[in-house]
Amino acid sequence: MNAPLLDRRTFLKAGAATGALSLGMTLEASLQDARPKPRRTERAILVAFAGGVRTKETLGTPVNVPNLMRMANEGITYPRARTANLGHFGATLSLFTGIAEARGIRENARGCDPTLFEYVRKDLGLTAGEVWISTSGGTQQANYSYSLHPDYGPRFGANTVDGDGIFNQEFKGILEAYGRPREMSAQEEALLQRMRDAVESRGEGGVNGSKTLSDIERYVLQELTSGTADLRGTGASDAKALRVARNLLAVFRPRLLGIVLQDADVAHGNFNAYVEVIRRNDAMIGELWQAVRSDPELADTTSIFVLPEFGRDADLNSRRGLDHGDASDNLNYVSIIAWGAGLRRRVTVQEEVHAVDVCPTICHLLGADARRARGRPLPKLRA
Amino acid sequence: MARAANLDSLDSWTLRALHLDLLGRPPLSTETERWCGRNTSELLEDMLGSDALWENWLEEQFFYFFLVDNFRPADAEILSLKSELGRGSIGVLQALYRIILSTSFDRRNPGPDTFVTVVMEQILGKNVQTEGKTLEIGKHIYDGSPGNFLGKKGSSQADVVRIAIEDELAVRHFLLREHRRMLRSDPDPKDLMEWTRRLKGDDRAFSPILGEWIDSAAYLCRLSNRQPMPNRVYVRALFIDLVGRLPEGKETQRMRSALDGLSDSGPLRSVIARLLLDSGTAQLPSKEEITDPTAWIGALFERLLGRPASEAELAVFVKSFHDPVCRPETILYAIVSHPQYATW
Repeated sequence: MNAPLLDRRTFLKAGAATGALSLGMTLEASLQDARPKPRRTERAILVAFAGGVRTKETLGTPVNVPNLMRMANEGITYPRARTANLGHFGATLSLFTGIAEARGIRENARGCDPTLFEYVRKDLGLTAGEVWISTSGGTQQANYSYSLHPDYGPRFGANTVDGDGIFNQEFKGILEAYGRPREMSAQEEALLQRMRDAVESRGEGGVNGSKTLSDIERYVLQELTSGTADLRGTGASDAKALRVARNLLAVFRPRLLGIVLQDADVAHGNFNAYVEVIRRNDAMIGELWQAVRSDPELADTTSIFVLPEFGRDADLNSRRGLDHGDASDNLNYVSIIAWGAGLRRRVTVQEEVHAVDVCPTICHLLGADARRARGRPLPKLRA
Repeated sequence: MARAANLDSLDSWTLRALHLDLLGRPPLSTETERWCGRNTSELLEDMLGSDALWENWLEEQFFYFFLVDNFRPADAEILSLKSELGRGSIGVLQALYRIILSTSFDRRNPGPDTFVTVVMEQILGKNVQTEGKTLEIGKHIYDGSPGNFLGKKGSSQADVVRIAIEDELAVRHFLLREHRRMLRSDPDPKDLMEWTRRLKGDDRAFSPILGEWIDSAAYLCRLSNRQPMPNRVYVRALFIDLVGRLPEGKETQRMRSALDGLSDSGPLRSVIARLLLDSGTAQLPSKEEITDPTAWIGALFERLLGRPASEAELAVFVKSFHDPVCRPETILYAIVSHPQYATW
């Protein structure tokens, strides 16, 4: 199902209508400044194709992933990326921190090590509106936004949106039952802001400043009516995460965008559904890739990285599904596909790398320092 | 554990905090009228055996195990837990045993590897990466083979759960996480050992232990340590504070899930607050009915932020109130959309 693509023009127009446009005008003016730019990575998209996905069902079965195959053919592939089976939550977190550490599989807590989102925001001086994560796994995955590290934390966190948690028919229905909020005049908005500012703070602080908060408030209301809530079926949570990511890209044009998938874990009990999820995700990644390529500014400045957090067992279990615990190469090695501005093309690097290398690689490309990460920038990456 | 010296007379903030901590919602207006100025121990006696307390406790356990949305237990034997716990016919460990053996928990954690891992991590507080052998034994027992798990014999999925729940580590881990939830601090190791002994002897002893926690100096520290509200509590607080009732169960669940999907739920919280205020269901006087705006705004600060308004705050709010475009809703929206409202 094709939901309409949110676009920046409509978003900014809506912002102007509610009297909140100063930042938007600045950004739009800069977008119109179309001087030619050298092709180098100024934006990065990291797709954690998580939930446990073997290379055997991706690059090993090209018919499942025609878009990833094209991306690999136009980019650079690392087919021997070592991972650690730390549970989905811990292993995915390790992609973002560059440090492989065990976490409980139902643990609902932040990590102690900074994430690449924090490194990038802090070192590049970015606002939270420029760094996003689109997830499909609900509450637990909001913990990827930032760490408990005293030098980083919420003031350098990413905005996280869980597509399935927010953009679903039930929540939409509940909101609709209460009607639409009454539109405030510019004067009333100003009064409201004055009163909010007058409340004496007791040390409360969050990821966003007040301007970004109102931009996100408008974005959420728009996305609720965009059709994302209508995505259904096997792999719908992942599909929503990828659709939301595409819309975030169009509306906020983030410098760093993380996407966390997880529906492939249906493999525990159903191999066919697992393959179906992989195929659907490939199609949605294709949409996202196309959105980047069809936008001249994004095409010249964006790099995309795709990798699972780990693979799955070599053999089917008794329920004709695939678990993840046999310590086989199918589980321990995944493929990394990288495509983008300033990266090498049509290259396969056979040497062994690590999944935790992706965090320092992206930081390095963007000009940040993943100073606590234990991975190293991927070799032979740049053109 | 040191007792608190000054929890004897309930002020509005302590009353609000106790309700939020124990019932997961602020007091209704009738409860505020009933309890303000009275003794904490009377309120505790009233709360500790109530279905509302155990309903909230169960919700916290469901969330801890991520049994939410499609995985939320709906079996009769789980739904009856709150009244059984309230009557004292079963204790907390027995309730956990039933939750873990529910079909919802099984669906949430399918297969031996996931199931036993979650039991070891969530019930026993173990790190499975360093206890691979125990995990393998647990998986074999789950699959029906006999084995020795944590020093006890078993041969079924139910045995894995029973052995885990009966283990002293499980009791200790439960008390530790509940203490952190209620008091926002780690307990003294000696106290923890003593509570573990008592709860292992009789798992209905959790109520009196909870009472001791609230009546302690540690709870006074918690009262001075405001933290961001979890989204479920925020939704319930907003409904009571704005429309004078609790949200329906489905409303709470869906709103919480949506809010939980954002690392900064502030924008969506504002959307929900604004929807409620503009829906016509909020219990608000008209502007003409507010004859003393200073008193009205001051009372809102006390009720919603749990503190008096400063002179500077009152000056800005009262001046704004007199602006023709300002509605009572605007005042209320400014308060409930401020991050301070979402702390407790």
